[in-house]
Amino acid sequence: MLLALLAGQAGAAVQHDLYLCAAFNNGSRVMGSKDGSSNGLFVRSGVDEFKHIGVNYPLTASATFDPRDANVIYVACLSGVLRTLDGGKSWRLVTGWAETEPKAIAVDFNEPDTVYTGLPDGIVVSRDRGQTWQRREKGLPERGKYTQVVRSDRSRKGRVFIGCESGLYVTENGADSWQRVLVTTETVDDIQQSPHDPKLWIAVTQSAGALLSRDGGATWKKIDGVPSDKALYNVAFDARDAKRFAIGSWSHGLLLSEDGGATWTVRNAGLPEPTRVWRTAIDPDSGEIYAAIFGQGLYVSGDSGRTWRTVAGMQGASIQTFTFVPKPSR
Amino acid sequence: MKRILSLLSLCAVLAGPALAQPSATGPMPVPPADYTTDARRIAYVARANEVLQWYVDSIKPGDPATFAAGQIAVKLARREDAAAVSARVVELMSVPQSQDMFWMFPWTAISYLGRDQLTPEAKAAIRDAWRTYFPMRGDTENHWAMYYASLYLMTELYPNDPAAGWFNGKSSAENNAEARAYLIHWMDLATTIGQGEFNPTHYIGEYAIPMLYLATWARDPEMKIRGHMKLDWLLADLAENTLNGVLRGPNARTDDTSVIQRWMALSSYFSWQCFGNTPPPPSYGGFGVWFAVAAANYEVPEVVFRLANDRSQDYLQHDLKRSRRRWRYSDVLMAPVYKTNYMRHDYAVGSYQGGMADPIQTHVWDVTWAVPDPRGVHNTMFSAHPYASAQVMQTYFTELPDHMLELLAAQGKPSYDVPDKILGGSPYERVFQDLDTVVALYDIPAGTRYPRVNGFFSKDLANVTEDKSGWIFAQGGSTYLAYRPLAAFHWEHLLGYKQLPSTVGYKWERVDRGDKGDKLLVSPHLKNGTIVQAASAGEFKDFAAFQAAIVALPLEFKMDSVPTVKLKTLRGHEITCTFGEAPQVDGKKIDYSKWKLFEGPHLNAEKDSRKLTITHGRLERVLDFNTLTITDRVRPE
Repeated sequence: MLLALLAGQAGAAVQHDLYLCAAFNNGSRVMGSKDGSSNGLFVRSGVDEFKHIGVNYPLTASATFDPRDANVIYVACLSGVLRTLDGGKSWRLVTGWAETEPKAIAVDFNEPDTVYTGLPDGIVVSRDRGQTWQRREKGLPERGKYTQVVRSDRSRKGRVFIGCESGLYVTENGADSWQRVLVTTETVDDIQQSPHDPKLWIAVTQSAGALLSRDGGATWKKIDGVPSDKALYNVAFDARDAKRFAIGSWSHGLLLSEDGGATWTVRNAGLPEPTRVWRTAIDPDSGEIYAAIFGQGLYVSGDSGRTWRTVAGMQGASIQTFTFVPKPSR
Repeated sequence: MKRILSLLSLCAVLAGPALAQPSATGPMPVPPADYTTDARRIAYVARANEVLQWYVDSIKPGDPATFAAGQIAVKLARREDAAAVSARVVELMSVPQSQDMFWMFPWTAISYLGRDQLTPEAKAAIRDAWRTYFPMRGDTENHWAMYYASLYLMTELYPNDPAAGWFNGKSSAENNAEARAYLIHWMDLATTIGQGEFNPTHYIGEYAIPMLYLATWARDPEMKIRGHMKLDWLLADLAENTLNGVLRGPNARTDDTSVIQRWMALSSYFSWQCFGNTPPPPSYGGFGVWFAVAAANYEVPEVVFRLANDRSQDYLQHDLKRSRRRWRYSDVLMAPVYKTNYMRHDYAVGSYQGGMADPIQTHVWDVTWAVPDPRGVHNTMFSAHPYASAQVMQTYFTELPDHMLELLAAQGKPSYDVPDKILGGSPYERVFQDLDTVVALYDIPAGTRYPRVNGFFSKDLANVTEDKSGWIFAQGGSTYLAYRPLAAFHWEHLLGYKQLPSTVGYKWERVDRGDKGDKLLVSPHLKNGTIVQAASAGEFKDFAAFQAAIVALPLEFKMDSVPTVKLKTLRGHEITCTFGEAPQVDGKKIDYSKWKLFEGPHLNAEKDSRKLTITHGRLERVLDFNTLTITDRVRPE
C-alpha cells in the first residue's frame, strides 16, 4: 500500500504496477531445502497474472522503490537489502554482515536518496540510495527495538514511523533521534498512513489490537470494533474511498470497515479455511481487495470481500507484501 | 520459516545409497593403545579413506543420481576419473541450484579439490553458478559459518572478479572483505564470551567442516591459522564432552533421536574420525564425507586425542557458552550459559543452569552411562518441562507469531509442540549440578501450555525399582542411578517418531513400542522437581547398598510456593536450591559471574581472553587468537 500515496497526492486515477514479495513452499521450507520454485519479487503482468522478476530468493519481506525512478527497487530479504537500479535486471546486496533479516524498508518520498531499513536489532539509514548504511538509533531503547515495520510520512521530509516490539517510535529529523509515541508490550506489526488525510494513521499490533491516530501519530486511540485477542498482521487503506479500511489477521481473517473504522465485518466467506490472512491490500486503481492466505496463495474480491476469486499463478504462495508503484513514475 | 533441517534427514539428500559401512556396522573400535604420532596418523587417514571408498562404491554406473556432489568430491580427493567427474559437474550445474549454504560449502570443496583436475568447462560451470544462483545467508551461526567460509574461499580462488560475477552483486574484493570480517567477528565472540550453538550433536559439522576448509585452502595465512585454531578449539570442546566418543548433554541443539540414543549423531562421526573411539553413524552422518575429503590436511593434536580417549581419571569442567541471539522480548541479545561437566569412567553428568539457550532443540541436562556398544542404546536419564511458546519462538526468530508452532513438525521438528516431548529447554526450569548430583526445579505458571514434567526412563535401564522412600532406583551399565520426582507422577509409554514419505515438508507418525520401549515419568504438577544422583557400581557392595546409601541421605523439599530442595549428596555435600535463587553448596552461594570461559583440569580460558589452554597429563597446547599462534609443549614433571 506504500505507494498508493503518490496516487492520492496527484488526485487522479493513476495506474499502478503491483509488486509482491512471495514464496512458495514457505510453510515447510527449511534452510538448505532442495527447491525448484521461483520466489522473491513478482510483478503484475495482466489481470490476475504475475511474473517473477529478479533474484530467486525465497525469504523476501518487503519492497519499496524510488519515486523518481521506479526502476530503482529495494527489497528487504533474509540476507539484507537487495537493490536494483535497472528495473530488476541486475541486483546488489547493498548491506553487509552486520545488517541481517530486515523485515521492512522505506524510502523517504520527500528525500528519495534516504532509505530506512528496520532490522531485528534496530534501524539503519542510507543517505545514498542504499550504497552505504549507518545505525541511527538515538532515542531507541538498547533492548526493545526489534523493528517489524518502517513507514515514512509522505507529508514531511525526515518524518518516519517504526513499529517495534516495544511500541511505535517516530523521528522528525531523518533518524537523528527517535521518540516513542505508543507503548506496547508486543510487536507493532504494521502502520499505514491514509492516502486521503496525511494526519490519519492506523497501526495494528500483535496483542494491542488496532489503533488510530488523527493527529499525525502524536496520540493513538484503540479501534473498538477490532478484536485484540489475537495478532493483527497488516492494515490497508483504500485510495479511492476514504472510509474503507482492511485488516489481515491469521486468526480473524479479513476484517473490513466501510465507515471509517466505526464498524468492522469479517469477510472470510469464500476464502480457504482456516482463513489465515497473512497480508491484505486494496488496489488503488480498482478498489479490489487482496487477501494473501498463508501457504494458499492470493485471493481477490471485487465486491468488498463478499465473494473471492483465486489467482491461479500464485496458488500455494505466501505473500509477504503488496507494493503498488505508480506507472507514470517509471 | 527458515530453520535448519535435521542432519540425519539430510543424510538422504547428501549421502549415497545405503551400503555396508565397515565401521558403522562392524565391531566396536578397539581403544587406541598406541599414541605415537605415526600410529594415530595412519589410523586417522585410514578412517577418512574408508569414507571415500564407501562413496566411490556407492556410484552405480548408469544411475546419475548416485554420482552427486559427495561422490564428485571423493573422486577428486582420490584424483580419479577427472574426465567423468568434469562431465558430471557440467551436467549438475546445468540445472537451477538450491540448498543455500549447504550448496556453497560442497561446491567450494569441489572447486578446490578440482583446481588441477576439472576441465575448464567444469570449472567455468561451477564458477558461473556462483553468479546465477543466489544462496540465502541463513539465520543461525552455523549457516553463517558455512556461508562466509565458502564465500571467503571462493573469492580467494577468483580474487579479481567484478561485482557482476557474483550472485550478490559484490566484487570478489568486497565479498572477501565481508566474509573475513564476519568470520573474525564470530571467532572473537566464541573465544571471549563463549561458543553459541554449543556442543551440538549434529551442527558440529557445520562449524568443523568450514574451519577445516579454511585451514586447508585459505591463501591468507591469518585465515588459514584461524581456521586451524578454531578447528582445534571445537574438537577440544568435543573431546571434553564425550564419553567414549559419545557426545552427551547439555547441548544447545540436538534432536529427538540423539537426545536419547546419544550415539546417533554427526558428532559420533567426528569422534570416530578424529579420535577413533566410537563407530560412525550411518552414512557417516551425511556430512562426514565433506570432512573426509580434506581430512588429510589436518592433524588432530595429540593432547586433544588423549583428552577424548582417556577416561581413567574423573574430571570436573565448568565452561561458559552463550545462547542463540534473542532478537526481542529479552533484556539481553545473547544470554550466558553456565555449563557443568563431570566425567567419570562409567558415566558422565552434564548440565547448564536451565532456561532457554536455543528455542527448539536444547537439551539441558542428563546422566549418560558408558556402554560397551552405544549403537541402538538409550543410555541416558533426565527430565524436562515440555515448553512450547509462540512468543519464545519470536524471541529467536524474526517471524510473525501464529504459524510457527504448527509448522515446526513439517520443518523437521516433530516434537516441538507435543505434551510428551523430552527435547527442549524451558524458562521454568532451573538446574544445579554438583559433581554427579543434579537438582532440577520447575516453577511453571498456571496456564502454561503443558503443565507437567517429563522424566525419561530408558528401555535400557535395568532393575528399575520404585522405593517407598520416593526414590526410583535403576541401573544403566555399570552405573547406579537414583531418580527422585518431587511431585506425584504416573508412567506412560514414550512414543517414538517415524518419518513418513512426503514430497512437501516432513510428515511423522507416533510409534508405540509398548513395554519394550522407553517410558516417561509424567508429573502433572506446576511446582515440581527432579533429583538424580549417580554412582559407579564399583563404589558399592551391591545395588541394595547404593539404595540404602541414597535413602539414608538427608533430604528436605517443599513444592508449595517456591520449589526448594535441601539435600546431602552421596559425595557429602550439602546442597540448597530454591527456584530463582543462587544455589548453595555447603553454605556457599554459587557465583556464576565468576565463571571462566573454560575451567578444569583439561581446558582453561579466561573470559574475554581469546586464549585456550588444552592440557592432558604433561601435554599442553595453547591456542592464542591474540597472537594467532599455536604453542605445544611438554610441561615439566
